[in-house]
Amino acid sequence: MPQMEVIANRPRRWDVPFGDAMREEDVDKLLQIEPFRSIDAERFPATLPLRGILKNDARVNYYPDGAIIVRENDYGSSAFLVLQGRARVVLAGLPEEVLGRPAQTKPGFLKSMLRQWRNPSLPEVRNQVAFESDLVSNDSHEVDELAETRVFVQDVPRLLENSRSVVLHAGEFFGELAALTRSPRTATVLADGEAVLLELRWQGLRDLMRRTDALRQHIERLYRDNSLRVHLRETPLLAQLPTEHLEAVAAAVRFETHGDFQWQDTYEPYTSKPAADAFASEPLIVEEGSPCEGLVLIRSGFARLSHHFGNGHRTIAYLGKGQVFGLGESIEQVAVEEPVRAKASLRALGHVDVLRIPQEVMRDHVYCNLPEHLLAEAAKKHALYCTKHFCSQPGKTLGGEQTQVETPLLEFLVERRFINGAQAMLVDLDRCTRCDDCVRACAATHNNNPRFIRHGPRHGSTMVAHACMHCVDPVCMIGCPTGAIGRDMATGVVEINDLTCIGCSTCAESCPYGNVRMVEARDAGGAIMFDEVTQQPIHKATKCDLCVDQPMGPACQHACPHDALVRMDLGNLGELSHWMSR
Amino acid sequence: MKSFVSRRLYSATLMVVVLALLVYWTLQQKWTLGHSSFGTGYVLLATLFFLALYNIRKKLPVLPWASSSDWLQAHVYVALGTAVLFGLHVDWRLPTGFLESTIAVLYGATFVSGIVGLIWTRTIPAKLARVSEEVIYERIPMLRSQLCERAQEAVLEAVRSSGATTLGEFYSERLHPYFESSRRIGYFVRPNSRLRRRLLAELTEMNRYLSPDERETCEILFALVRRRDDLDFHAAMQWRLKMWLFLHLGLTYPLLAVASVHGLVAHLFDGGVL
Repeated sequence: MPQMEVIANRPRRWDVPFGDAMREEDVDKLLQIEPFRSIDAERFPATLPLRGILKNDARVNYYPDGAIIVRENDYGSSAFLVLQGRARVVLAGLPEEVLGRPAQTKPGFLKSMLRQWRNPSLPEVRNQVAFESDLVSNDSHEVDELAETRVFVQDVPRLLENSRSVVLHAGEFFGELAALTRSPRTATVLADGEAVLLELRWQGLRDLMRRTDALRQHIERLYRDNSLRVHLRETPLLAQLPTEHLEAVAAAVRFETHGDFQWQDTYEPYTSKPAADAFASEPLIVEEGSPCEGLVLIRSGFARLSHHFGNGHRTIAYLGKGQVFGLGESIEQVAVEEPVRAKASLRALGHVDVLRIPQEVMRDHVYCNLPEHLLAEAAKKHALYCTKHFCSQPGKTLGGEQTQVETPLLEFLVERRFINGAQAMLVDLDRCTRCDDCVRACAATHNNNPRFIRHGPRHGSTMVAHACMHCVDPVCMIGCPTGAIGRDMATGVVEINDLTCIGCSTCAESCPYGNVRMVEARDAGGAIMFDEVTQQPIHKATKCDLCVDQPMGPACQHACPHDALVRMDLGNLGELSHWMSR
Repeated sequence: MKSFVSRRLYSATLMVVVLALLVYWTLQQKWTLGHSSFGTGYVLLATLFFLALYNIRKKLPVLPWASSSDWLQAHVYVALGTAVLFGLHVDWRLPTGFLESTIAVLYGATFVSGIVGLIWTRTIPAKLARVSEEVIYERIPMLRSQLCERAQEAVLEAVRSSGATTLGEFYSERLHPYFESSRRIGYFVRPNSRLRRRLLAELTEMNRYLSPDERETCEILFALVRRRDDLDFHAAMQWRLKMWLFLHLGLTYPLLAVASVHGLVAHLFDGGVL
């Protein structure tokens, strides 16, 4: 008779420390320096002591001169503190060839065949952990990969000739932006001479910040200062601005935060409200008809652009990171020398960080430095918001991406916040024959376990299936105690490290779209694994991993015979529009 | 992203060009007093194996070969081309012998089932999408029994609260069999809304004899009848989409087997043509 249950050890947060184990004397040394010296250890609970965080969530890395510490556009999940030496932050993008990014290796025909052959016949089969080295979490990938490939930037002075860079000294933090906002690194950082750095994984940083007000304020200030100039440089019209004018703009910028950081907690009540009530609950950033007071830059998150229609509001578009609101009105105000009113409202969807640049600063430091044709071009581009039902300047067309998406579909995507999805699974129900080839293909590539459900909210004949969307803002990652859920460094795909997942279901509860599922783990014989201590079944979080290790990409999309299923960035309305009008 | 229209044009043009070349080749063979039947036979057998290979590709989705959608496009156009190829092979005459006739019938049935399947896969999804709810085929029995339970509970509650049995009797006589049992095979062959319309009309008629409490329950029953009918429609249409494929595949393998035997026999009795 087969065994029905098997006893196993449930993984815990600090089963394996972050990288090479820190010694007690290393922790003692850290506690002698700022900012750790000022932290009150009494404020930490016994289960999460300050020493424990430093010992298990931190590690000390040595870098030779010119070594790359972090690379621009990699998804990192740790912050760095310079202990000794200097680090150079290169603000302008370095050429790809010097960054030593490794090529992605995918299995070939035979390996893929073998893999399918070896799929267990039972669901959710897990091997017991044989070696502790298997437990290395996602977090250490970034530094390990850079160390393994020994990426050095040779001839640093020549490379930096045309780049702007900032030198950081002992005691300074960097990398906190990517670690805390689950976003890609905004700059490459090199060791400027030999350097020793403390790397702190984001869970540790989060726990330290929660219990230390001074550190939280310090990190928040850095977070703002370090990212501001980078963000301004990425903004249209500001990219080519002379440094002194950019500094003037930076000095005048106002930071604003709208909505809740952990917006997933209010998602369910928000979506169950009537549309008008849900709309009214969205924090207002700029109201339609209010005088133009300058430019609003979206720093992170999403905002809804809408205008009055009848007794309600109609969505025109949504803006995401790096997009600008009010540029058309701002330029028009300078041109006509009269007050101009906002043509649409801007409301926060979830959590939004914005930067406001006052109108007088734009007039005195930006517009005066730009040729008229550039201004006219920018005004034209940003003056029109068009959908099939609305165009801010009737009779004109934007010629851009937002003209073809119907307003009801736009409202559906915005209200349910699917715009957060970078790889959402859309199913065209007019073409889908419900053959389930997509589900079978998914199962075949994941040990016979499908990682999505071919079902979900629909609008007309478009369905957003319950598959991980690999969100721009993956809120599922916020509460993970072990860092088992994290982004792939190169692709940004949100993955779960099955070995370090403790089955707490925080991610499944945090995912507002219900795309993370908890399953009971079994051994090869089919027996359900039970925790030795609690005698409870061992659960694991599972979800779509976008078939990152598959040679042909997402198996679901590849297996659809009728082109009914697609993985798509819903932040890109142009892509959606093309797909809808095939 | 290539539009469906341009893809159709491209594939159809390619198919016509290839077929024109094949026709030209067979005519050339005829003009030079040669035999094209072996050549067309080889090509036809190879295309049949290629068409059958699509099912293998579906069973091995992890392998790095072209997407299923590309395979289906190739499958459809190659299969359409086999009709001309088959005609060239048999020299546009009706088959006579037992083996030839068997192959012709099997080929014809497979071809027609493919065409019917193509039409269904292009038309049924849109019909399903017009139904208010999207359901997974395997969940339909569970959803049906949930509906039945909800209807029963609603009626029992109405009987309890109103003390009247009019709706209860109507339910047990007319609606309970509808909620409890599956549709007949005729519905699966040709789904229609006759039963739904009849039951809704009867419920509307019944409404005048009901107490206020029962009328509220009657509204619930209206919705449940509609939902059950939608579920039945999904079940019938999805069943049809699955069954045609089962039939199409079921015909493919005998066709391959008989065609291979035919090829072997043709070689054994080639009469020195080769």
